[in-house]
Amino acid sequence: MLKKNLLSLLIANVFLLIFVPLSQAYIGLCCAHCGGNMPLNIPGGGIPETHEFRFKVSQMFMVMGPLRDGTRDLDNAAELLGPANGTTFAVTPEEMRTYMTMASVAYSFTDDFAMMAMMSYIRNEMDMQFNTPLQSSTGTRGFTMTSDGQSDLTVLGKYRLYKDDNLAPTKQASVLFGLSLPTGEIEKEFTNNPVNGQNGTILPFRMQTGSGTVDPIIGVTLQSSTDPWWYGANAQLEAHVYNNDQGYRRGSELRYDFYLMRQVHSRVVLLGELQGWYEGTFNREPYRGRILGEGHAGGTPSGGFLSPLFDPKNYGGHKLAVTLGLQFQPIPLHVVEMAATIPIYQDLNGPQLRDDYMLQFTYYVELPTKKSRRYTGFKAPKELGF
Amino acid sequence: MKMTARLKLTLMTTALLLGSLHPSVWAHQQAFENMGITKPRVEKSAPGFALQDIQGNMVNLEDFRGKAILLNFWATWCEACKEELPSMQRLYEALSSQGVEVVAISIDRRNFDRVKKYAKEYNLTFPVLWDPEQKVRKHYYIMGLPTTYLIDPNGRLKGFASGARVWDSPDSIQALTSLKEKL
Repeated sequence: MLKKNLLSLLIANVFLLIFVPLSQAYIGLCCAHCGGNMPLNIPGGGIPETHEFRFKVSQMFMVMGPLRDGTRDLDNAAELLGPANGTTFAVTPEEMRTYMTMASVAYSFTDDFAMMAMMSYIRNEMDMQFNTPLQSSTGTRGFTMTSDGQSDLTVLGKYRLYKDDNLAPTKQASVLFGLSLPTGEIEKEFTNNPVNGQNGTILPFRMQTGSGTVDPIIGVTLQSSTDPWWYGANAQLEAHVYNNDQGYRRGSELRYDFYLMRQVHSRVVLLGELQGWYEGTFNREPYRGRILGEGHAGGTPSGGFLSPLFDPKNYGGHKLAVTLGLQFQPIPLHVVEMAATIPIYQDLNGPQLRDDYMLQFTYYVELPTKKSRRYTGFKAPKELGF
Repeated sequence: MKMTARLKLTLMTTALLLGSLHPSVWAHQQAFENMGITKPRVEKSAPGFALQDIQGNMVNLEDFRGKAILLNFWATWCEACKEELPSMQRLYEALSSQGVEVVAISIDRRNFDRVKKYAKEYNLTFPVLWDPEQKVRKHYYIMGLPTTYLIDPNGRLKGFASGARVWDSPDSIQALTSLKEKL
């Protein structure tokens, strides 16, 4: 896993090295758009200055657990483990850890229009606990289910509809639009299940690295600033409108954010964020579960689910979380952000692992092209005779 | 008669060529180039303004008529701007007695106290003005900070510089003093 993460970082750095010469003519011009910055965990939030690239690498670590149904945490052993009969399950998750390395590139074609592409490499580890008969037959309490691979590719455009000032706007409104493309996988399989016959069967939904569908994304972003405060809101909908090759689709996801940032030093910005997610359930099982009986007791579709993870209804819900972090600019054109997220409310559809906490470290570099105002300085105004 | 006209034309051309090759002219042009200062294609009058300075006095562009002016736009939140403020002060100390004025216009929308604080911190003794409504900034088509205009003693725009500079460098002093001379 470490090797693959390093490979991702290496690829990102090669990109950086290719484009670093572009920035050599930087002459120390403030584009004054820092007041339009946003927390970096908002997809499509911050965009580069006009005619500049922004390369971003982010490492995220998230822990989920214990199980929750609705707003109530569950006692795994007492409430869920038992025969696979639809109410209790042969195997249940205890904790999940997700490591995600994200790389993105963005370019602003005009003052108002930018495009960006984001790709991730994800590694999932989920600790599973067996019921008593399986513990006896396998001789172990459980196992750690794993999956890793490339996730879906997101391509986004951001168009600024309104600004109250061209240089240093205090109010801006933008629309986001794009697609999530199915570069991830939907048929990841068990490889280390101690139960006979389970390896080679399909992993549960959350362990897959992709959606299998081309999904439209639309959103709106409002940004304001009153020196030294920056604040705003963002709402994005990723719709899942048709079934993938396994005959199912994820529930649509609505994400919303309210953020507040304060510049405490010319190089340091503190940030606070209230984030919300509404996510629907999966519409049905994959073909390999629905027809072939994988993930069901007895290997038949009529058998109960072996784990709540195989039930498409046990996904989604409404979550609220708070993120605190800081952005730091060690040298011009380079920014790092460290952020921690903790949930404050989770109302989940059926038994599923709730979010515990998330840590994220992000680094980005802005690379002016020859057309950028920061490359040679802004063109002198012809209105004044230049 | 025909020969006389041709002779006049030859003499005038020679004079122009010799004039353009004069070391001082070449040096001034080189100084502008070295500083990355854009010269105007058509010389126009600098847009007039009347703004409050950090002492609370109203200051007009007209007040500086007869002096060469380095007119700088900056903001307290602009890191690159702060980097060049000390060199502007040194330039002012070196050339103010020779008819060169340095004027800085802060475009901070609020927190005028912070503008005052920076002026004090950097020991700025040249006029520091405040444009909270951004009106002057817009008349000067400022699209990034810092931006600096060079204005001659007759109030005409002579140069444009986008981005931070070391304003007390020999090239800068050469460029500013050249504005006082008739080229």
